[in-house]
Amino acid sequence: MDLCKKGMKTLLLERGRDVKHVVDYPTANLNPWDFDYRLNHTMKEIQRSPLQSSHSNAGDALFYVDDSEHPYIENTPFSWIRGYQVGGRSLTWGRQCYRLSDLDFEANLKEGIAVDWPLRYRDISPWYDQVEQFIGVSGSYEKLAQLPDGQFLPAMELNCIESHLADSIRKHDQDRLLTIARVANLTKGWDSRGPCQNRNLCSRGCPFGGYFSSNSSTIPAAFQTGNLTLRPYSTVTEILYDEITQKAKGVRIMDTLTHESFEYYAKIIFVNASTIATAGLLLNSKSHRFPDGFGNDSGELGHNLMDHHSSAGASGLHDGFQDRYYKGRRPCGFLIPRFRNLRSEGLDYLRGYNIQGDGERQEWREKISNPGFGADFKKQLTTPGKWSIWMAGWGECLPYHENKVSLHPTEKDKWGQPLMAIDFSFRDNEEKMMKDIKETSGEMLSAAGFKEIDTFNYHKPGGATIHEMGTARMGRDPRTSVLNGFNQVHAVRNVFITDGSCMTSSACQNPSLTYMALTARACDFAVNELKKGNL
Amino acid sequence: MDRRTTIKGLIVFVSLGISSFSFYKWTAFNAVADIRELPQKRVLLAELAEVIIPRTDTPGAKDAKVEEFIIKMIASCTDPKTQHNFLNGLSDLEAYTLKYYNREFKDCSLGEKTAILTYFEEKALYKVNLLNKINNKIFGLPFFVKLKLLTIEGYCTSQIGATQGLAYDYIPHIFSACIPLTKNQKSWATK
Repeated sequence: MDLCKKGMKTLLLERGRDVKHVVDYPTANLNPWDFDYRLNHTMKEIQRSPLQSSHSNAGDALFYVDDSEHPYIENTPFSWIRGYQVGGRSLTWGRQCYRLSDLDFEANLKEGIAVDWPLRYRDISPWYDQVEQFIGVSGSYEKLAQLPDGQFLPAMELNCIESHLADSIRKHDQDRLLTIARVANLTKGWDSRGPCQNRNLCSRGCPFGGYFSSNSSTIPAAFQTGNLTLRPYSTVTEILYDEITQKAKGVRIMDTLTHESFEYYAKIIFVNASTIATAGLLLNSKSHRFPDGFGNDSGELGHNLMDHHSSAGASGLHDGFQDRYYKGRRPCGFLIPRFRNLRSEGLDYLRGYNIQGDGERQEWREKISNPGFGADFKKQLTTPGKWSIWMAGWGECLPYHENKVSLHPTEKDKWGQPLMAIDFSFRDNEEKMMKDIKETSGEMLSAAGFKEIDTFNYHKPGGATIHEMGTARMGRDPRTSVLNGFNQVHAVRNVFITDGSCMTSSACQNPSLTYMALTARACDFAVNELKKGNL
Repeated sequence: MDRRTTIKGLIVFVSLGISSFSFYKWTAFNAVADIRELPQKRVLLAELAEVIIPRTDTPGAKDAKVEEFIIKMIASCTDPKTQHNFLNGLSDLEAYTLKYYNREFKDCSLGEKTAILTYFEEKALYKVNLLNKINNKIFGLPFFVKLKLLTIEGYCTSQIGATQGLAYDYIPHIFSACIPLTKNQKSWATK
């Protein structure tokens, strides 16, 4: 959209089908009983797409890929959750929007890990402003250095049990607080979209435009400029390098329906195929200049894969507030911002985590295994039960060179493209952090009077948080990074990468807002460089 | 899992195998129920569901046609082991009812129906949660557990169940975070 608004004729290539706002959300207004199997998947659907179906339901499965059509190789367990359609995962994302801070941008340098980010908070702050003001993020101002405030629409509200936990946390520890999540759901009408109707069905696509997706927001805006051409069913198979001009001249695509190849040429190229696919595309784009993959002078392309862990936490029940309930289905939970390793606290791990969770009263799904049946059973089944809270830590993952994606040497998909192979594991720092998350979450609930506390560690594999990042990292030195401080490929200045692959560290904040801010900044830079004749 | 729990799990593995041996297998070796016969059990399923969620001051399982949901789910959304348990369990219940009450389930009194289901619920469950988890994983869900889960889900996600047995808020518009709970207020049908 930014390129279009700045007057650039822009071709948007998407490997999947088009999804037009509202008209292509067939399940958005359905009631549970309108589905053949209510919200369950059939055994056939699970067999066809075992991984994606574990993350989707009957309402949003249409925005997830078919595993059988898009295989990949797990050298170690890794959940690659994707949606191949126009709008991608902006249709199904969790909408949490948190800014990174200098605590995050400086961490690699201070701790001697990986490479230094080639920018600081003051470089990206105006772009966070711009993005938040365009998409609309609701949130509350907390004045935390480690989680900078943004440009917020009115915050959503905590319910009674969450407010109770917030009070308890503040009482027990001045350095911690519980606040409402910051989400790209509109609490008032914004840019001719919304407001959110509190149905909590976002991942089906929202006919009210109540949350940000490319489909509802930036793509229509780009079309309005008259400068956008959208070509779906176009999988990019190679970035074309011109050895003479030493620039990228364009891309080759394969039409996924007809398997025909086409080439498109452009002055600048933005590669945002998402972390793993972007790395795969670059690795597959070999030339005399780049025998190891496009822009891969450093050898870091494909390496340093990270994902947040979100496996550890606690849940509990509370006897109080029996005379209170809520109305409406708030499409977000609460947040306990990072309170670990803000100073040197002598913990046995580096970096930190946010805790995300929600509170509710037990309803029929939570009572489904209660013993008994009959009139009394039905009465308690249909009456609100005890208040409960569930929360887990979304924690930072360090960049490890050995965590990587690569192209399989022989196996190909049905379009003749090499399959991606993934090697990933969480290591000691992450495991120690998860142990702390589990214990600390349990303590906080206990201190707030919760009972039947269950502390857990689901030990989910990498990829399960769907925040995969790092495979084409930014850095100051072309020998140890793929991109420079403006997301340009060091060696090929007219190619920009602003998706998750660019991340030099993972921080613990949900990353999409940062991708958007980096994108806006890089687009502005790219257009200015073009005008100056530098590209 | 620590070693003690694993050993406990291994020890009960054997005893579970023995105790899930059903009454049915004693009385009739031959007929193993077929999924295609399940629609014919429609009336029985409706009766069973109605005992679990009866019509009270709000509609019950029969009103919500829960038996149709159960049939569809067993046919298309259930793993083979659980399907097997369900079909066998259903036949087991029919045989048990005939033997001890001399009539079909639908002709029993409410007290008798309740007694029959109580028997099958107790048979399906172990007092220790861990044993249930192991049993379910190895052998699929027991018949009564699956019947009850499907009945409740079928009722609560049906139009009648969600809008009359529970409170269904199609488009809430605003979120009210903390409001008084009124007497006899029903819980929300969806999250």
